[in-house]
Amino acid sequence: MTEGKSSHQRGAVLSGPGLRTETSHSRYAAHFEDAELDLIQPILTTGRGFYRTASVLGVVAAWGLFAWLYQLWYGLGTTGLNRPIYWGLYVVNFVFFIGISHAGTLISAILRLCQAEWRRAITRSAEMMTVIALFFGIGSVVLDLGRPDRVLLIFRDGNIRSPLLWDMISITAYLTISSIYLYLALIPDIAILRDRIPRRRWLYRPLALGWTGSEQQQRYLKVTIGVMSVLVIPAALPIDSWVFAMIIQPMWHSTILGPYFAGAIFSAIAALLIVMGVIRRAYHLEDYLKPIHFTNLGLLLVGMSLIWFYFTFAAHLTVYYGGAAKEQTVFFSKLFGSYAPLFWATMATNVVIPLLIISNRRTRTVTGTIVAAGAVTVGMWLERLTIVVPSLANPRLPYAAGVYHPSWVEWSMTAGFLAMFILVYMLCSKLFPIVSIWEIREGRETALAEARERIEGYLPGWEVLRARPARDDRALQN
Amino acid sequence: MNRRDFLKLSTATVGALALPGCMLDGLIESEKTQSPWPPGPEQWIASVCQQCPGGCGISVRVIDGKAIKIDGLASHPINQGRLCAVGQSGLQTLYDPDRIKGPMRRLGGRGSSQWQSLSWDDAIRMVAGKLTEIRERGEPHTVAILAGQARGLMDRLPARFLDAYGSPNYIRTGADGTAKAVLFTQGIETLVGYDLENSNFILSFGYSLLETGWSPVLAHRTYGYLRQERPGAKATIVVVEPRLSATAAKADKWIPINPGTDGALALGLAHVMVREGLYDEAFVREKTFGFEDWRDDHGVSHLGFKSLVLKDYRPDAVSAITGVPAGTIVELAGRFAREKPAVALAERGASMHTNGLYTRMAIHCLNALVGSLQVPGGVVLPAEVPSAPWPTVQGDAVAKKGRSMPRIDQAGSRRFPLASHVASQLPHSIRRGEPYPINALFLYNTNPIYAYPDTMGFAQAFDQVPFIVSFSPYMDESAAMADLILPDHTYLERWQDDPMLPVMKNPVFGIRRPVSKPLYETRHTGDVLIGIAKAMGGTTAAALPWDDFEGVMKGAAKAIFQSGRGTPFLGSPADGQPAASPAPKARSARFRSFEEFWKALVERGGWWDPVYPFDGRRSLFKTASGKFEFYSQHLRRALERAAAEESVDDLLQKLGVVARGDLAYLPHYEPPRFVGSAQDYPFHLNTFKGATYAGSRGARQPHLQEISKSPVGRPWDSWIEINPKAARQLGIADEDWVWVESSIGRFKTRARLYPGAMPDVVNMPLGQGHTANGRWARGRGENPNRILGAEWDRMAGFVAWYATRVRLSKA
Amino acid sequence: MPRWGMVIDLDKCDGCQACVVACRVENNVPVAGPEETARGRAISWIEVPSMIEGEYPNVRTRFIPRLCMHCDNPPCTAVCPTGSTYKDDEGLVAQIYPSCIGCRYCTNACPYTVKYFNWTTPEWPDQMDHFNPDVAVRPVGVVEKCTFCHHRLQKAKEQAKIEERELREGDYVPACVQSCPTKAMYFGDLDDPESTVSRLAKSTRSFRLLEELGTKPKVYYLTEGERYDGRKE
Repeated sequence: MTEGKSSHQRGAVLSGPGLRTETSHSRYAAHFEDAELDLIQPILTTGRGFYRTASVLGVVAAWGLFAWLYQLWYGLGTTGLNRPIYWGLYVVNFVFFIGISHAGTLISAILRLCQAEWRRAITRSAEMMTVIALFFGIGSVVLDLGRPDRVLLIFRDGNIRSPLLWDMISITAYLTISSIYLYLALIPDIAILRDRIPRRRWLYRPLALGWTGSEQQQRYLKVTIGVMSVLVIPAALPIDSWVFAMIIQPMWHSTILGPYFAGAIFSAIAALLIVMGVIRRAYHLEDYLKPIHFTNLGLLLVGMSLIWFYFTFAAHLTVYYGGAAKEQTVFFSKLFGSYAPLFWATMATNVVIPLLIISNRRTRTVTGTIVAAGAVTVGMWLERLTIVVPSLANPRLPYAAGVYHPSWVEWSMTAGFLAMFILVYMLCSKLFPIVSIWEIREGRETALAEARERIEGYLPGWEVLRARPARDDRALQN
Repeated sequence: MNRRDFLKLSTATVGALALPGCMLDGLIESEKTQSPWPPGPEQWIASVCQQCPGGCGISVRVIDGKAIKIDGLASHPINQGRLCAVGQSGLQTLYDPDRIKGPMRRLGGRGSSQWQSLSWDDAIRMVAGKLTEIRERGEPHTVAILAGQARGLMDRLPARFLDAYGSPNYIRTGADGTAKAVLFTQGIETLVGYDLENSNFILSFGYSLLETGWSPVLAHRTYGYLRQERPGAKATIVVVEPRLSATAAKADKWIPINPGTDGALALGLAHVMVREGLYDEAFVREKTFGFEDWRDDHGVSHLGFKSLVLKDYRPDAVSAITGVPAGTIVELAGRFAREKPAVALAERGASMHTNGLYTRMAIHCLNALVGSLQVPGGVVLPAEVPSAPWPTVQGDAVAKKGRSMPRIDQAGSRRFPLASHVASQLPHSIRRGEPYPINALFLYNTNPIYAYPDTMGFAQAFDQVPFIVSFSPYMDESAAMADLILPDHTYLERWQDDPMLPVMKNPVFGIRRPVSKPLYETRHTGDVLIGIAKAMGGTTAAALPWDDFEGVMKGAAKAIFQSGRGTPFLGSPADGQPAASPAPKARSARFRSFEEFWKALVERGGWWDPVYPFDGRRSLFKTASGKFEFYSQHLRRALERAAAEESVDDLLQKLGVVARGDLAYLPHYEPPRFVGSAQDYPFHLNTFKGATYAGSRGARQPHLQEISKSPVGRPWDSWIEINPKAARQLGIADEDWVWVESSIGRFKTRARLYPGAMPDVVNMPLGQGHTANGRWARGRGENPNRILGAEWDRMAGFVAWYATRVRLSKA
Repeated sequence: MPRWGMVIDLDKCDGCQACVVACRVENNVPVAGPEETARGRAISWIEVPSMIEGEYPNVRTRFIPRLCMHCDNPPCTAVCPTGSTYKDDEGLVAQIYPSCIGCRYCTNACPYTVKYFNWTTPEWPDQMDHFNPDVAVRPVGVVEKCTFCHHRLQKAKEQAKIEERELREGDYVPACVQSCPTKAMYFGDLDDPESTVSRLAKSTRSFRLLEELGTKPKVYYLTEGERYDGRKE
């Protein structure tokens, strides 16, 4: 609790329940507070650390680009893929990035719908992650194509029976909705930037869509965001798992694989935690991203970890108990065969480490949570690998069993993608506030009252209490 | 990736960074419709395959003068339109980018790969000059021709050339083991056919019929027929060999046997058959000699086959030698004798040991015991293709003197008294200059530096031959060491007669004709020999009076025409091709003129005689007794003649034969000798050929290299098959690198664990480990011949391919 | 419309691989080379893998030629995002190379693992590029597979039309069947009760690979049956 900067305490003064939200353009500007300066500070100034990090990432990304051109030049032969392991790192990355993308919007939408007040500081970074990760997810698929030059044929010759097409449609829908969702929530902030940063008016002015903060605009925004939060949830359901589950490969073809990919949310929370950790430190937002945020998300992470474990256990128990020969082959190669190190590492990173760290009050710190999240992020990537590869390596007819060692091209492109993802994220954080200014503001202005009202709505015997107003009010506040 | 590509890519990367997205179109090549040339006129040409000696008819699809695909010739009696993997990949021999493109003379030192092209005229003049010079020195016998797989007249032509020139040294590399066994039991030196189609019980000793049979497609076809097409009972196939080959796998039963002990098993089976009176008594009584003990004209009593097997080959004793359970022996003997007609096959494997001749004789005796000689379902003597003998070579005095010299390979000498050709002796003779040094060596269709045991020995011997000429169309290991290369056409570019090896009972005479114009400045070796003879003039030229090889062939065809027997194949090469116009069915009509006959012969791919009389015109036995000889008087006479002034016992001693007296003339189990002791080298090295990588030629053909190897193996590589338990004891896992070491040398290859390997036998495929022979063959895997010791069945000169022992260690 | 199908008699097949090479030559299948082959990237529309069971000396080895099963209910066609692999009017599972985007979904969906991908640009050294003009050469990055030598069907149909007759058994035969030295492979119309294949497909020895998946393959196998110790009929 000592991390907060004292200068910000002023902004945190609580207003009384009667405070009304005054909203006109002029008033908006006038109400500009110091605290909000904190949030646009990263946009106004850029430190040496940023440039240093960005150039390192840029080099890695350029190397990845080189690897990609190399692959385009020579074909997919430059990968470690073969028959029967036709899919490898690229598909793993695809599933992984799509997984991460679920973070964002889904978390922010659910939290929003649940009116979880602590969401305010994290929605923006989560939503941004969604949109950016989706692009990289789609990019991973393009990398994986033998003929990326023909990718547009999908629009001309698309075969709707193909789960790949379902996936495409779902991802497109998700991308569209979450982009709109992100953008809507950005508009008031862009308007602030438009007013604050004259030299970037050319960018912010059209984007702000003439936002003045009028009551009507605010009402529209609220309603639209509300609708979008509902819409985005079904759009975010993991369809990509069906790409695997629909075909009769051992251990893919199972009903649990669909929900199992809800593990996406698990990885998304982990990724979000890391992002939060980084921006908190890099942009000095300790006052906005407080330990409570990490604790809450950390607990969510553990919850998801347990659910994930249950799903994993169920999936493997079913296979083991059923004893179908082909699936057993995959099962044993995962648990005790050549993929065992990866599999057990996954178990360690996804269950043991987060459980140990977060269930212990002493280690459930910001750092601890981020470490656990890091473990889960790596673990979920490995989990995707142990879902994709072992099934392909042990096809139903055993004559074509294979081994897969990713090539330097695949590793380079994986690294390049990761670097580029981070880079793009960093750049976005330089263009738009990474913590939603207006939501924080709104929180300051109305949250307490709303929370109070809400609690009053269900607190038994509140009516009695209400009869003795002033004193009890104070009591409540203290 | 080379430097240039790297630069291009780097530039592209920088460019792409500068102009993201714009580069894509340029980088991805637009759809190149690699449409083949506009198809021109299409035709099907009949010819004969020569990827192996099988003699299958082929029908080659030619479009616009370019050969596109090889199919089986539907009207050919051997393969009936079918063709094996090796035959199908034949175009890769024609289109091999590393072929020798014209005559070449060596420039630098031997093997320095510096060559100079020269014209055919110059090349022929050069050879003729060299030969004339040697002849003028009075040493024509120091010229040798080493020939492998020489078909039909191309076997007779070089021999005749040397005859006229004055050398006894026409040395063939082929195995003629069966012929010797038939010679010493039936008195006729010939390969035999097996009438498997009518057989009920097939007992094969070491003969992977389906992979390395004399004519694989014939074997495949027969196999399919026996399995599911023949009405009535299926035939039972039992394969005795140390490795579970595809043949053994597809047999009804595989009987693994200790290497070199097949003879003992055959005699053990004979024991049971004799003891239980299961043999064909009438046949044995009337048509065999030496079954019972007998007295000769001098009243000396001799051991008979019956007493021998009853005394020495009880099942338990045989079981101890062979490792085959006694119960199996008894059961097998019973079934072999009862499920007639039964036939025992003794080719290749079983006899490639130092006791090869006796083993083959012992196995052949099983056929006599069940009366399966010249009966349907038994061993049959082939009917011959009608032929006209060439006039005897007269030759001048120099030629006569040269011809009378002993052979350089010492075949027929006291070293190999019963042998006709011992190619593998050549390096030893040459290195020691025994019986005389060699001045010129011609290599036709053979690659001795690769394909013989102790390949280093051959390489060293080459150093001592002043003039080596290779006729190879490919730069193989031996051609690389030659002084002059006179490249032959490939089999798809040349004329050649191809009489079927006598493994089918009916005679077949195939016509190999060019299906493609010669792609390069190559020339038919027959034409080259005729050219050399002409250039030399004199009696040599007189002995080869033809204009070209096509003329030689026509002479042979004329003999067939005049015999009035048989018929050209009844059909056209387009028959059996999907959607080809049904050809007018050729009638088996008489032909008015030879020209008409020749035209039909060439168009339809050959001639055959569909009629085979089992009670044939020729005599079955040409032995002293006029019967099948269990006790080989022929062998006895031959050994006595070879012993000359010394005793037969002394000769046997020298030849490494343990048996003495009567036993030496009876089929018996002679303990095999091995290279390397069992203590130091615990494993037998069993080399084998698979169906798709036969011999050294297959390595040049990428299709054959690339397809999967079964039952186990590695494409584009060699491997060694080890019994899983034995491997475990040595800590060797599947696909591990292992050292294979014999007393000759060692190399490293990959292990494949194979339960079809015996615990003390390791199996390795032949065909890889080339140091030359073009881009597809060079530098892949290992050549087991490199570490084989030179051992022979010294009596008959068979190479003991399986006599080498090795040890293994994890690399 | 005929329903083209194949019957392979495993009792007759002795694993000689003639079909494999016949197919490669007929269909212009490129040579992958040693390195790519070692990586598991060689293309062979038909393969003859072996199955080895048991321990020395009781070992049983079987050869099972495996090619595209041309399923009546193919799992690969449904998943193709561009419909470039599809079941044509004759029931053959076909692949349109120019519209394949190379996602390799179909290769994974095929439970028989008989679809192949062109990992690199197919290369032929000079002299060796004498292709069968009836069959397209595939570019890099697309999936290919056995077509049952569909081009031969086209030819046979044209010929039959010109000759004003129906297709006869034997007019249309894939290269592998044509070459099979043991005559273990049969090809024809499964719906024609008179055809050899329909007769054999109904034999008691007949089975299909992974029949339980409901793919309805049109390649039938005939079992080997008993050996040596169990006496056969």
